[in-house]
Amino acid sequence: MKKLISLLMAAFMLMSLFAGCSNKSAETNNNTQSNEPKVLRIWSFTDEVKTMAVAFQGKHPDIKVEYTMIPMTNGEYQTKIKSALQAGEGPDVIALEASFVREFIESDYLEDLSDLLPLAQQLKTYQFTIDMATHDGIVKAFSYQATPGAYFYRRSLAKKYFGTDDPEKIQEIVGDMKKFEQAAKVIKEKSKGNTYMVASIGDFTNLFFANRQQPWVVDGKLVIDPKVDELFEVAKSFRQNGYEAQANQWQEGWFAGMNDSLVDAKGNPKQVFSYILPTWGLPYVLMPNSAPKEVKVEGSDKTKTVGKNTAGDWACINGPMPYQWGGTWVAAVKGTKNLDLAKEFVKFVALDEENLKNWALGTYTNEYLKKIDPTIGDKLSQGPGDFVSSQKVVEEIASQFDNAETSKFLAGQNSYKSFAEAAPNISLKLLQGTDDAIQRALNDPLNNYAAGKATKEQALKQFKEAVKNALPELIVE
Amino acid sequence: MANTKINKNYYGYIFTAPFIIGFLLFSLYPLVYTFYLSFTNMTMMSKAYKLIGFENFKKLFDDRFFIQSLLNTWKIWLLNFIPQIGIAMLLAVWFTSTRLKIKFVGFWRTIFYLPNILMPATIAVLFFNFFSFYGPVNQAAVRLGIINDAIEYFRHSGWTVSIVAFIQWWMWFGSTLIILMAGMTSISPSFYESAMVDGANSWQMFRKITLPLLRPVLVYVLVTSLVGGMQMFDIPYMLTDGRGSPNGSIMTMNILMYMKFSSSKGHIGAAASVGVMIFIVTCLSALLIVKLLSEKDSKNNAKAVKGEVKGYELHN
Repeated sequence: MKKLISLLMAAFMLMSLFAGCSNKSAETNNNTQSNEPKVLRIWSFTDEVKTMAVAFQGKHPDIKVEYTMIPMTNGEYQTKIKSALQAGEGPDVIALEASFVREFIESDYLEDLSDLLPLAQQLKTYQFTIDMATHDGIVKAFSYQATPGAYFYRRSLAKKYFGTDDPEKIQEIVGDMKKFEQAAKVIKEKSKGNTYMVASIGDFTNLFFANRQQPWVVDGKLVIDPKVDELFEVAKSFRQNGYEAQANQWQEGWFAGMNDSLVDAKGNPKQVFSYILPTWGLPYVLMPNSAPKEVKVEGSDKTKTVGKNTAGDWACINGPMPYQWGGTWVAAVKGTKNLDLAKEFVKFVALDEENLKNWALGTYTNEYLKKIDPTIGDKLSQGPGDFVSSQKVVEEIASQFDNAETSKFLAGQNSYKSFAEAAPNISLKLLQGTDDAIQRALNDPLNNYAAGKATKEQALKQFKEAVKNALPELIVE
Repeated sequence: MANTKINKNYYGYIFTAPFIIGFLLFSLYPLVYTFYLSFTNMTMMSKAYKLIGFENFKKLFDDRFFIQSLLNTWKIWLLNFIPQIGIAMLLAVWFTSTRLKIKFVGFWRTIFYLPNILMPATIAVLFFNFFSFYGPVNQAAVRLGIINDAIEYFRHSGWTVSIVAFIQWWMWFGSTLIILMAGMTSISPSFYESAMVDGANSWQMFRKITLPLLRPVLVYVLVTSLVGGMQMFDIPYMLTDGRGSPNGSIMTMNILMYMKFSSSKGHIGAAASVGVMIFIVTCLSALLIVKLLSEKDSKNNAKAVKGEVKGYELHN
């Protein structure tokens, strides 16, 4: 009897070990057999594509969209996709950001989407967004955004320190990097150090990267463009002279400059004159953060508001150098069982005139999306103002922004029109798959040099070593 | 009847089978496979790869990062382990002392253990905000007149290392405390009672009774902490930019491994070679600790017991 009991117990233990696995496989089997809706799995790094996915579901009620958001702060998203694709467990559709889209375009993980090209021609999709996603003549992804760069400054501060807030005159004052530095000096002196030109050094690094003559990698070798040298010098000058607020980009102090709530350690209020952000920076970054914020008062349940509403006090110009920054591409993963569906989604997101118009004009409000899927919560929505990839759509809707929220934010300036002028001139021929790794490796040495903690030789050596560490197959001299 | 005794051994195998199977599948196989991978140039972005011998290891020792990350890992571990075991020991002695009779021991123990159950990611973000340039630490310190100007903590190697070591200490001393207390309460109180009768003071009791009898527990704490310390990853990874900034001062071996793995192409082979090195370093140091401490352990134990017995005999 005892024997029997212990044998049974051992058997139960083993069974419970494998029970988890068998249950799961049974479930998936059921799914494919019955007539449940088709599932489209999408991975992205923000909630933007989720908005699109909900809208897509509204058009195709028979399809169930499974959306997964993974943040990319320190590169988690890229790593997660790579390991999932390597293991053959990727989703059907992935979103790719400008800084790493090339790695995936150059790999063999994405489906050929070249047959959608005629649609792109009809919509006059900006050529650079297609070039970016083309490798060996095959187009593997499409973007719904074009992202020309812009320069946003505070009108009230401009009037105070330069005597005018007229965009054309300010453009002359900050027209190139020399003038930009000079203007920073004027602001510092006239404000007695209480107003900074920019919030962080990180704000203008993109300008220098975008204006290089050569790509980072030529014939498998690391090339350090003279622009990098210039960047080092400007960064040092800004840090040493106190022209920047020493904030961390995308961190609290950096955002605090947008609603005038920046306070230094001694309790003195500080202001930030300008932010260097591209098209998407206006609706997604600057506008949501330029309103007063509620914070908890220490030691009680009450809240107090800090900062003030700076809407209407901003203006938008080209700034010291032309550039572009960011952008989201969508692609179908190779080997997906839902290829047709995935293609349909890419088509809807990037190559559908109606969707692009809805996207740019802010049709996808929270109520609109909730009608399709009530479970999305109260936050998901798409405000107007994102700059889309179709020249045809842009030309049709640009004048509609004369009275939009974005234009009110810029005191009547229609930024959409100026972006429309800048977009056709963008070239992305310098972009390579390794850019992200190389530019991230430059961060720490750049800060060391700017803070005076390393000579330029030491900083460059640190940079080269970091690149060698991140990219073992690259030749670094 | 004699046969049943032999037959029963059979059940031992059945009951240990789940563990053995799990170990072979999820521990031994990955370990062997990691060794294999470290000799390949496999990446995540392409399916083809080939064996390249010791190339990965050669590259690893060629650039300064591996040695630096090795030193960093040891430095951060020692900086947090020494105060960790010191303070845990002190508190454990207080809490188990029959003389002091501290109240609410369970409550304090829980409080000290709490940081351990928080998510490392949350803690890292919390401390990053505390010590950021516009954060509360700078605000308070400047306004109280402790420092003149705000400090950029995360651009100074020394500060960043200290903060990581502090977090590790804060998170782990509670768990060490519990293990040490368990060890101390298992020591028979009669030793202390007879020592008290002899007029021994607290320090003498600690040195002559607690410490020698606690040695096996100390070996356990030291080895588990070493293994954990060599694998340090989440706090230093989340605290700054995931690359051990500034100056690679908090780049641990595991961060280096993850950096290779998450670099643009995802170099699995190069990452595996770091993993192999971590394995070797951890094994060697753990073996060394066990060997050094257990030898002393058996000798001292014998001595201590002998001494006690002698003392006991004399009194009678």
